[in-house]
Amino acid sequence: MKLNTKIKSGFVGLLSSAVIAFGGAAHAEYPEKPVDMTVLFGGTANTIAQLLSELMSNELGQPVIPVSRTGGGGAVGYSHVMSTAPDGYNIVWNSNSISTTHHTGRVPFDHTAFTPIARISTEIPVLAANSDKGWANLADLAAAVDSMDGKLKVGISGKGSFTHLTSAALFDAMGVGDKIAYISYGSGKAPVELLAGRIDAAIQWPGQFASYVETGDLNVLAVTGNERVAVLPDVPTAQEQGVDVNISMWRGLAAPAGTPADVVAKLQSAAETAVASDQFQRAAANIGFSPAFMKAEEFSALIEKDDAFYADLLSQLGMAK
Amino acid sequence: MDVFLQALALSFTPMAIASIGLGALVGLVFGSIPGLTFTVALALALPITFSMDPVPAIGLLLGTYIGGMTGGSVSAILLGIPGTPSAAATVLDGYPMTKQGKASIALGTAVIVSVFGGLFSLFIMMVSVDLVSRLAIGFGPAEIFALVLFGMSTICGLCGNSLLKGLIAGALGLMIMTVGLDAIDGVPRMTFGSINLLQGVNLLVAMIGLFAVPFIIEAFSGRGSQDLQTTRVAKVRAELPSLKLLFGKFSLMLRCSVLGTGIGAIPGTGGAIASFLAYDHAKRFSKKPESFGKGNIEGVIAPEAANNSVTGGTLIPLLSLGIPGDPATAIVLAGLMIHGITPGPALFMNHAVEVYGMYVAVVLAYVWVLGLQLMGIRIFVHVLKIPREMLAVAVLVLCAIGAYSIRNSAFDIYAMGAIGVLAYVLVAVRIPITPIILGMVLGPTLENEFRTAMMLSEGSFDIFLTSPTFLVFFALALLVVSLQVAAELKLKKKTSERIEMTDA
Repeated sequence: MKLNTKIKSGFVGLLSSAVIAFGGAAHAEYPEKPVDMTVLFGGTANTIAQLLSELMSNELGQPVIPVSRTGGGGAVGYSHVMSTAPDGYNIVWNSNSISTTHHTGRVPFDHTAFTPIARISTEIPVLAANSDKGWANLADLAAAVDSMDGKLKVGISGKGSFTHLTSAALFDAMGVGDKIAYISYGSGKAPVELLAGRIDAAIQWPGQFASYVETGDLNVLAVTGNERVAVLPDVPTAQEQGVDVNISMWRGLAAPAGTPADVVAKLQSAAETAVASDQFQRAAANIGFSPAFMKAEEFSALIEKDDAFYADLLSQLGMAK
Repeated sequence: MDVFLQALALSFTPMAIASIGLGALVGLVFGSIPGLTFTVALALALPITFSMDPVPAIGLLLGTYIGGMTGGSVSAILLGIPGTPSAAATVLDGYPMTKQGKASIALGTAVIVSVFGGLFSLFIMMVSVDLVSRLAIGFGPAEIFALVLFGMSTICGLCGNSLLKGLIAGALGLMIMTVGLDAIDGVPRMTFGSINLLQGVNLLVAMIGLFAVPFIIEAFSGRGSQDLQTTRVAKVRAELPSLKLLFGKFSLMLRCSVLGTGIGAIPGTGGAIASFLAYDHAKRFSKKPESFGKGNIEGVIAPEAANNSVTGGTLIPLLSLGIPGDPATAIVLAGLMIHGITPGPALFMNHAVEVYGMYVAVVLAYVWVLGLQLMGIRIFVHVLKIPREMLAVAVLVLCAIGAYSIRNSAFDIYAMGAIGVLAYVLVAVRIPITPIILGMVLGPTLENEFRTAMMLSEGSFDIFLTSPTFLVFFALALLVVSLQVAAELKLKKKTSERIEMTDA
């Protein structure tokens, strides 16, 4: 018995029945019952999922219910969805984690076990340091690392986490990869550790640093994607600074492989409308992620390309299984 | 002053007052029913806030958080099953008070000191948020490790007469938490290749198992329950604690509130450690330490004042640093972010009105909690009139639902059952349960902070030895443990002397 699901479907159901009553958009075909959306992580992932599912419910005429199945870096949730029937009633709020969970040996299946529906958003990590260091860009940091005796202490969320992989790729591209000591923190504490001077630099989500940049406590040196981020418009990308790195975390929707194409198309169009809505766009600006809708086909190609990239990166780091 | 008046205007709208009240009610219900947790309540409330104005939205979340934190004591006192980990210490004396027919006094005291603790911490936070957050930044991995180690030393106060049995329980708690994906190296531990075990044992699931399952088994095994039943029914009265009693304990309330606020302000700690430290403190400085665990009202006052003063304390790192202290505050953080209120040092410049609005919302939430709970006590105590077997069935169902709902995982129901049977066996061989919870709450922090500290120092212990904060807490922990050992040796000597005398 899913208690929270039950209560939520009550709320959402009320809402969607109102929509049907006014819009007259009742369908005989898919979806005929609520759609279960597995959410793999808490935090931002969960917040976006809750908003997206509410907006998609309005479109589909049936509630989309976000159900949190966290744990194992996504392994628990992916395994659950993979084992369900490919009928479109079980979808997963996925991310690059499908590649990392597979290549680190946590799940025996890879991204081909899922049919992509649509990419929804991207989040681009940024590199920050305490402003007392006096570093304004990546070149300053590289110069400092070259002249220091020990290693540069870089905070990450955990070994093999997305922030770790991004850091490794960035510092390798800068040519200082062997002078970095990675310090694992629970997520969210990076700004404080930077402020206290216990670590020298950290890669995290821009939203976490924005307030500190405003007060001048921290400096953000680079964006690791190929576009600047809206929250910190003055920070140049790594590529603009001559360092060839382009990593961003995408989030999207996928269903078990074999889900019928018309069902996927329906979910895709509901997602498209949801992402385009004012409410979603406003939330994106507030939370600090970028709406980045992408259709199933392109999304599939992106997953394919990224999967090869992470497989390579993880084996370089000696974490591939 | 202008800002404050504006904030008052924002929070005293009917919508804001109603949503805070709704939050407080939902939080109380979820917090007080064993098995259901207020983290789940917060997760349910979050989507409702998306379409609300900022102040009512945050008010709903804060109301739920505060109601839940306070409600956790209800089932801890009435059934001996804590509604939240922060209320685990309240069981120790709250449940014995119920057995003596003083349930309503324990409940009333718990609410009043909770509200006191909460408002006290809010006041501290309002006047010193900047100072306290700067101090809290000084707590790095080494210092948090020491604080948590000191927290572990409170096992001494929880283990009755045998430190050994307390340590067995504490170590079991630490071991259970190593199952799953290691947060630092990202490798699976003790999972035996199972994907379900990768998610590890959830603290709340284990807590439900540890306290609720023995309750259920005992209810059906019928040991001595007949006598208990009659006394319980005979003595159920809705009597509130007298003002004289409360004023008499004012200094204890104040000390525990200071302690709770301080611990709440340090990111990565939380309500459970505060309530255990407060309990230990109360027992250590009591004139009658031997009466603790047998229904001493101070054993209810201390943890309840402390765990609610954590609510104000955790707002300090949450608002000024953007760091949530636990899963519950992480959801409050999400609610703030979605309304464009980004916590961090710039918050007070950009959103002063909303921040003051939050302060007012916290005060309103406590007013609601006080009113709802004091009325509720009249109803709550009637739970004790329900035959124990029937109550056990209801508890069983609620706990299974609760265990499932935390992560929507059927695995968690089995985990709850397995841990519950383990707990029943441990109770039978007189190993205390509470240190297991302590080990589970503190274990992951203890391990991760230690390993992070060692990474920072590149494997040298200097990081600990050069930190004054570490040395102070470590010395305190050492002192507590050696006092316990000395007391036990003395007791042993006395008993062996007595044995010799009877021999002669």
